[in-house]
Amino acid sequence: MNEKIIQLKQELSKAVIGQETMIEGLLIGLLSDGHILIEGVPGLAKTTTINALAKALGLDFKRIQFTPDLLPSDIIGAQIYNPQDHSFSIKKGPLFTNLLLADEINRAPAKVQSALLEVMQERQVTIADETFKIDSPFLVMATQNPIEQEGVYALPEAQLDRFMMKLVVKHNSEEEELEIMRKGAAKSFKEVEKVLSIEELHSLQNELEKIHIDKELEQYIIQLISATRDPAKFGLANITQNIMFGVSPRASIDLYKAAKAKAFLRGNTFVTPADIGYVIHDVFRHRIVLSYEARAKGINADEIISKIVETLAIP
Amino acid sequence: MKHNLGKMIRLFIALSFILLSAEDFTYDFHLDKRNPYLKEPVILTLDLKQSNHDVVLLFNFDLQKSEDYFFQRLDTKETDTHHNTQIHYVYLIYPLKSGDINITFDLIKKITTDESVAYSFSGDRDNVKGLVTIDTKITLPPLPLKVKKLPENTALVGDFRLIHKFKTDQAEAYEPIPFEVKIEGSGYPPLLDNILPKDVKFTVFKENPIVNSIHNIQGTKSSVLYPMALSNNRSFNLDQIDIKAFNPKTMKSYILTVPKQHFNISKADVNTLVDKIDNPKPLESDWSWQTTILTTLLSYLVVFAAGYLTAISVKWKKKTLAQKDDPFKKKIESCKDERSLLQVLMAADSKRFTKNIEILEDGLYGDGKINFKRVKQEILEKL
Repeated sequence: MNEKIIQLKQELSKAVIGQETMIEGLLIGLLSDGHILIEGVPGLAKTTTINALAKALGLDFKRIQFTPDLLPSDIIGAQIYNPQDHSFSIKKGPLFTNLLLADEINRAPAKVQSALLEVMQERQVTIADETFKIDSPFLVMATQNPIEQEGVYALPEAQLDRFMMKLVVKHNSEEEELEIMRKGAAKSFKEVEKVLSIEELHSLQNELEKIHIDKELEQYIIQLISATRDPAKFGLANITQNIMFGVSPRASIDLYKAAKAKAFLRGNTFVTPADIGYVIHDVFRHRIVLSYEARAKGINADEIISKIVETLAIP
Repeated sequence: MKHNLGKMIRLFIALSFILLSAEDFTYDFHLDKRNPYLKEPVILTLDLKQSNHDVVLLFNFDLQKSEDYFFQRLDTKETDTHHNTQIHYVYLIYPLKSGDINITFDLIKKITTDESVAYSFSGDRDNVKGLVTIDTKITLPPLPLKVKKLPENTALVGDFRLIHKFKTDQAEAYEPIPFEVKIEGSGYPPLLDNILPKDVKFTVFKENPIVNSIHNIQGTKSSVLYPMALSNNRSFNLDQIDIKAFNPKTMKSYILTVPKQHFNISKADVNTLVDKIDNPKPLESDWSWQTTILTTLLSYLVVFAAGYLTAISVKWKKKTLAQKDDPFKKKIESCKDERSLLQVLMAADSKRFTKNIEILEDGLYGDGKINFKRVKQEILEKL
């Protein structure tokens, strides 16, 4: 594994115990310019992790708590009138940052969620008639709480599609919990120091470009994507009625990039089918639109993805 | 000299007020007899009349309670009020002790003003305004009575008659025979502790006597009913009962009599006497309860053991079936080569089988040689 990545992981482990899935996902997102949606109950060190990542990279970090009364201007900024010189000036919102934690994103209404669309995809913000480029790197880590379903606004498919991966964060193991308890009580969590500069991060991103992916694997990715859209064609007629819509073209791009990033994080110079297997659930799970029948039967997207992986022969 | 004269004038004015206040009213007692017999009714009348008409006068009067006499207020008449209060009280008194006794009184004189009375009247149910009075306790001299003794063994005083009633004089053994004695007339209420002698040879069931008394100026009209029931297992006699009474008006003694009565008691069928509803069965030395308890306990144990074993067997069966039918385990077992095994692991929780995946990758895409069966076994052991 790359030395810088090892250093980064070690630095993050000073502030975060366990939660390797979340850290790995964030690093994949960071290296491949993707955004991460995290689903998990409160108190799983989501803020701590992204904060630690910002410190370790020396990046700017902002957190927005999404609430039902939040307005788009609260996050993107607004044009403010100055009565002294009778002019308007732009007040930039908290979106102007490198790492953004959108906490409980499904608590805000659709218009606020949509305000994130432009910035997530185009990396630019338009306030009044002025468009601002967002500095690179820019990573949105959004969270949503799965236990509360009342008073929340489900994220629109278009927005969900803009997240590279949806991670399901679970509670720590008992050993990790014990360590958290001891360190938390003794306040012995160490300060995270900057171990990676933006230039070094960009160079890591460039290295990622060099990761080789075989044509057969590219074909394999396309087959996986197609299997979600037309399962019967791949001998998966039994899951056809469970899928309303398959994954979008963004999914193929993101799966391709995520698999390369995973291979890079594992210290490989080429992608193997296992790399795809490691990330496919995270890339697909929020993009497959389940049918009414599937929901009624209690079938989730992960089960469908597993079925597809199981059926399609690996190269 | 001037000062001494002033003091004398002030003292005279003060003394005049005390004398006047002491003479705010007059009273007049009247007893219809001073030398009554024990328990003979005596009528006491008292007239209170206000003499100082400058004040508003009220009275609180009653006889003091005493063991020497019993009294009952018969009447109170207020013929005038406020500045000319006139009250007439009538009491009925029964001396309860022979010899010299004193009738004593409680009297409180209450002085107030017209304004106070008007103020108290201005109140209503929800806004009660008290009447402010200046109260003075007046000590009235006691009225002495010389109470005469009654003839010996006198139980009742007055003019009474006795009525008795048996429901029947034939009964079965232990069957209760209702019996009533009623004494009525005028005089001191004819309450007796025991109508029947104490040493009778049959069972007597008694209820509290039912007393009806009306006090009036002639004395007290009373009617006392003694309900009883007699019972025995053989024939018996109720001896004659004589109750000695004395009439103070005629000053003569007389006897109230319940004549001798014979009751024929026939033998009762024992079976009819047994209370088949409430009477419990006699206790017997029965040890069957121990057997019952042991049987019950044993049955509980058997049921418990059966339930426990069933629960364990269900759990064990479920576990065995789950192990047997675990689809993932079946899939792993059915994998025939590294590729298919890698595929199954990728589809499942890849992160859980990271090491196994790496080994399989090495075998498939690297230079390493792997023992497929061993890898498979390792995965199966993890499940």
